Amino acid sequence: MIRKKAWFPVVYMFCLTAFFSTIVIGFTQVTGERVEANEKLSFEKAVLAALPGLYEKNLSRLELHKRFTESVSPPDNFSAAAYTLRQNGQIIAYALPVSGRGFWAPIKGVIGIKADKKTITGIAFYQQNETPGLGAEIAKAAFTEQFRGKTISTDGPPLNIKRPGAVLGDSDVHAVTGATQTSTRLEKIINDGLEEWLSRTTTQGNAK
Amino acid sequence: MTAKTSRSKSIITEGLWYNNPVFKQVLGICSTLAVTNLVLNTLVMCVALIFTLSLSSFTVSVLREFTPRNIRMMIETLIIAFYVIIVDVLLKAFWPEMSGNLGPYVGLIITNCIVMGRCEAYGNSNPPAKAFIDGFFNALGYTFILLIIATFREILGMGTFLGFAVPYFSGPNWDKWIIMVMPPGAFFMLAIVTWIFRSIQAVKEDKAK
Repeated sequence: MIRKKAWFPVVYMFCLTAFFSTIVIGFTQVTGERVEANEKLSFEKAVLAALPGLYEKNLSRLELHKRFTESVSPPDNFSAAAYTLRQNGQIIAYALPVSGRGFWAPIKGVIGIKADKKTITGIAFYQQNETPGLGAEIAKAAFTEQFRGKTISTDGPPLNIKRPGAVLGDSDVHAVTGATQTSTRLEKIINDGLEEWLSRTTTQGNAK
Repeated sequence: MTAKTSRSKSIITEGLWYNNPVFKQVLGICSTLAVTNLVLNTLVMCVALIFTLSLSSFTVSVLREFTPRNIRMMIETLIIAFYVIIVDVLLKAFWPEMSGNLGPYVGLIITNCIVMGRCEAYGNSNPPAKAFIDGFFNALGYTFILLIIATFREILGMGTFLGFAVPYFSGPNWDKWIIMVMPPGAFFMLAIVTWIFRSIQAVKEDKAK
């Protein structure tokens, strides 16, 4: 009988693996485009949320994408790594993507900065995997809204995330209660990103 | 084990109560601890598990006549992984926010002891329809325990339920128990739930005698 043969388990395993893999591969192919679009869209949404006056809560996926392509220009030599929002060719605001290590997994976000390169117009995170209920609160409006209108400090770190209850200056925000690790890492991500970008854009400005 | 005393009970009550995967068999604890700090995340995780467990057990059962004994574990893992990847891809494509929330835990259903346990203990030696029902109700037994844990953790720790503010617990008079949404909170809740349910079970069994 065929099942008693020594090679039967090998062939059986091989066939079964081939069968299931084929289905999975096919399935991934079918949904792959959508998955990719989702990732792109969550980034575009973050850019819109960080820039002033573009984001509305109930926009459909299509409207979001349309608004992004219409109003936001991709990074060029002048803006370094930042996306720009222009009106009549004049830059109104920058959207700077930042990323780095969070507590559990990478945090990726976008910081919106006014054309003066001093005022924050908003911040949004499109990828994070912090503890739900604690670190993950950084993605919620209660936390991100704090950044709106803050000033990038010229002496010391650009922005500070201070412990809850602390007195806030022009460039400080409150951390999320109970999420010390996330807050410290986030502060570093934001400041590293801002400092690098500021130094790149100003040296370019001087060269001109 | 209670499985012997209640042999006459149907597969349904076995999975849900007498042989509940969480508080009786103590399986699948890793995910019980990991995903129960928000009710919505728990719910999606449980639906994913119900899907995976019932279909894996079914498929293992369909193939049981052909599968050589010595490689059955490999086959089981392959089948489980197959369904889990399907769930994972579906979430990524149609509910990216939830996929982000659950992070690696959907993928980790592959190693969830309940799935392997039921495939091995039941699917491997019973007809497909029965294996499906067994898998379904075991996953349901897992689900209701997880939902109890998640409900308490979310309300006590964050003052919300399914994201909606709960009166009193979200108010200023309730000092939120942050520890409940952190990993230690899961251990406390799991221990308390296991304790309570096992006690109830013990009392019932004494009466039955």
